[in-house]
Amino acid sequence: MLSMLLRRLGLGAITVWLVSLIIFAGVEMLPGDACTAFLEREAKGQLLENCRIELNLNRPAAARYLDWAGHALQGDLGVSANGQRPIAELVGFRLRNTVLLASGAMLFGIPLAIFLGIIAALRRDKPLDIAISTVAISAMTIPEFVSATLFILIFSVWLGWVPGIVLVSADAPISAFFPVIFLPIGVLTLVMTAHILRTVRSSVIETLASDYAQMATLKGVPFWRIVFRHVLPNALLPTINVVALTVAWLLGGVVVIETVFNYPGLGRMMIDSISDRDLPVTQAIALIIASVYVGVNLLADILTMLANPRLRTLHLRKG
Amino acid sequence: MKKVFGLVSGLALMSSMAWAEPSGVFRQAHEVGSGSASSLDPISKGRVFQITEKIMSRLVRPDMDGRPSPDLAISWTANEDATVWTLALREGVKFHDGTSFGSEDVVYSLQRVLDPAMDSPARAAIAMINAVEAIDANTVQLTLDAPFADLPLLLMDYRLRMIPEGSGDTIATTGIGTGPFMVKSFDPEGTSVLVANMDYFDGPPGVAEMDLIGIPDAQARLQALLGGQIDMEPGVTAQQRVMLDSSDQFNVQVVPTGNWRGIVFRTDVAPYDDARVRKALRMVADRQEMVDLVMGGGAIVSCDTPVGPRDQYRADMDCPQDIEGAKALLAEAGYPDGIDVDLYVATLEQTWPVIAEVYQKQAAAAGIRVNIVQVPSDGYWNDVWMQKDVVTTRWNERPADQALNEIYRSTARWNESYYKDDQFDALLTAARSELDFDKRHDLYVQAQEHLWETAGTLIPYHVTQLVGTTARVHNLDAVENNAIRWNLVTVD
Repeated sequence: MLSMLLRRLGLGAITVWLVSLIIFAGVEMLPGDACTAFLEREAKGQLLENCRIELNLNRPAAARYLDWAGHALQGDLGVSANGQRPIAELVGFRLRNTVLLASGAMLFGIPLAIFLGIIAALRRDKPLDIAISTVAISAMTIPEFVSATLFILIFSVWLGWVPGIVLVSADAPISAFFPVIFLPIGVLTLVMTAHILRTVRSSVIETLASDYAQMATLKGVPFWRIVFRHVLPNALLPTINVVALTVAWLLGGVVVIETVFNYPGLGRMMIDSISDRDLPVTQAIALIIASVYVGVNLLADILTMLANPRLRTLHLRKG
Repeated sequence: MKKVFGLVSGLALMSSMAWAEPSGVFRQAHEVGSGSASSLDPISKGRVFQITEKIMSRLVRPDMDGRPSPDLAISWTANEDATVWTLALREGVKFHDGTSFGSEDVVYSLQRVLDPAMDSPARAAIAMINAVEAIDANTVQLTLDAPFADLPLLLMDYRLRMIPEGSGDTIATTGIGTGPFMVKSFDPEGTSVLVANMDYFDGPPGVAEMDLIGIPDAQARLQALLGGQIDMEPGVTAQQRVMLDSSDQFNVQVVPTGNWRGIVFRTDVAPYDDARVRKALRMVADRQEMVDLVMGGGAIVSCDTPVGPRDQYRADMDCPQDIEGAKALLAEAGYPDGIDVDLYVATLEQTWPVIAEVYQKQAAAAGIRVNIVQVPSDGYWNDVWMQKDVVTTRWNERPADQALNEIYRSTARWNESYYKDDQFDALLTAARSELDFDKRHDLYVQAQEHLWETAGTLIPYHVTQLVGTTARVHNLDAVENNAIRWNLVTVD
């Protein structure tokens, strides 16, 4: 188990490194640089030259990447290209805000999704299941920016319950995000619930049809006991991975939602930094998102293993 | 009796207005154009002009007709050949930090703009100012390189704001000026708070607080307006206007501006180096159709003059579509079978692709085959504009002299069409040194008419801006942003 863990961590590190390389190359390949993005029409002659010297853009791309990587390895993410502010400080608050939004959505979304998924499975093909499944599929297929805009229209413009657009700055205290954060949380819950719900539903249905569940029924075990003792522990295993992917998606900054609601999180910062050609910031966020993906998936695999004795022994034998 | 009552209540109302304390909060969004490089330094590239325009004053400001009117300078006179200008400054004005405003501050502020080391984008606009001297505490003298009769027009530039002497290193965060509002907190990506300056030289402003909120996404800004989270949004589109008009909670102001979009043909490369070809390319445009199709009617036709419809020097011209004339000109220039044009377009400006498509259709009638080349918005100004032969462009309102000189004079840095015409340059030089208004007006009009004959820039229209406000806002001048008197705004 330990060697497996170490191997996975090593692979994870390589993944993160590759991501940083790809992102760097990608941003480099875009036309323009931090100076032309900032100066726009005035990006000519001396003004452009001065800016490039100031931001160290005159050196070859490879040298700049090595520079950055060297510092990053020592935990120094550098300063943002145009604002000259330490990135750790800039990104820190954005990360906190994204975590806040993500945890809000998870807190509502995950229990709701699992609960509804089980209900739908147990009432399979009955009106309740059909209703739940239809709503879930609709919620999944409507693009986020549409549901987000609809939410703003209904809850903010028509009903006036909560403000529609987040107007607080990135470093505002957490309390300042309430109640305006409820709308983005609502939209996120809608989207993620649908994904998880559908996995739970099919998994529960599958397990209900398994030999041991039928055996228990034949033995005369009460229905609810079958569901809670035999079906759910097995059925929820595959769910862990879907939940993990969703969590990673949430923590990676939900670009569209953050833009529509003007939410000062990682996703919007990523977009802004790319259009500003602010490579240090783009790289730092890419690192965070890649690490979150790798980390959360690893965690999910470990949890699945702990919950499933068969997988555990398989790996033990291998290791 | 009724009349008397009306009079009394009217008087009461007036006196209550005169004594009214600033009250309420006016909230406005800005697009955080420069991200974390945003600044309160009025002459830096990152200046958030939505804030600097409320906290700092200029020497000269535009009145409701766009003509020069006093701000910190109360009067100005020129010598005989308009090379030396003397400005009398307003007395008794205080900066937000309590220090007095005087001629030394003007000298400092203007020299700072002119200092090449500052790299200020505003420098080009006033580069003709050779020396700035304080004559006494309230008199400043500007010496120019060459005669210029309309110097006050240049001093209205939205960036030329007066800051305290020696404050250059701190102004980016303090924002100390003499404007109707003072900076309480500056947070470009969140909410910046300005409070009423009770010592403002024109009396206390109407609102107690102005919140300037950074919302980069245009759609989010409109949502914020619809949800009543901000009070004003200048970028309302014709489609969105329908939504605002249908509600009594909002008002829409229609403001003609000098902002324009257009197509540039480089005058230094074949076949566009032939003035006949250039004129043919511009004659095929049905400008009113462009206004209707691209802007939903929200624009005013221009006959390729960059001078805005409300500018005092605007030439009154007529330029209907003339397909036969264009064909004849092309044939005369040696292209009886028409020409092929590669037009480079990005989505940097939303209307560019639409303009290109409408032009493509219109030009086809005269045998001009327009091939639209889509390019990325990123790096457009650097890699495409002033590089490719035919590109789309956009400019914001400038006074006539500035627009003609910055974009068309043969030596201009931003001469995007590489237009070189001695006759045109001579007209501009003559206009600058002509002290008689009517004669000057004639010269500027001739210059614009000359552009219609020879220029390489197609300017189909000047944009009419739609400004959406919430119904609680009053006394917001329905004029171009640069001329709004922010101290008059009140809210319910």
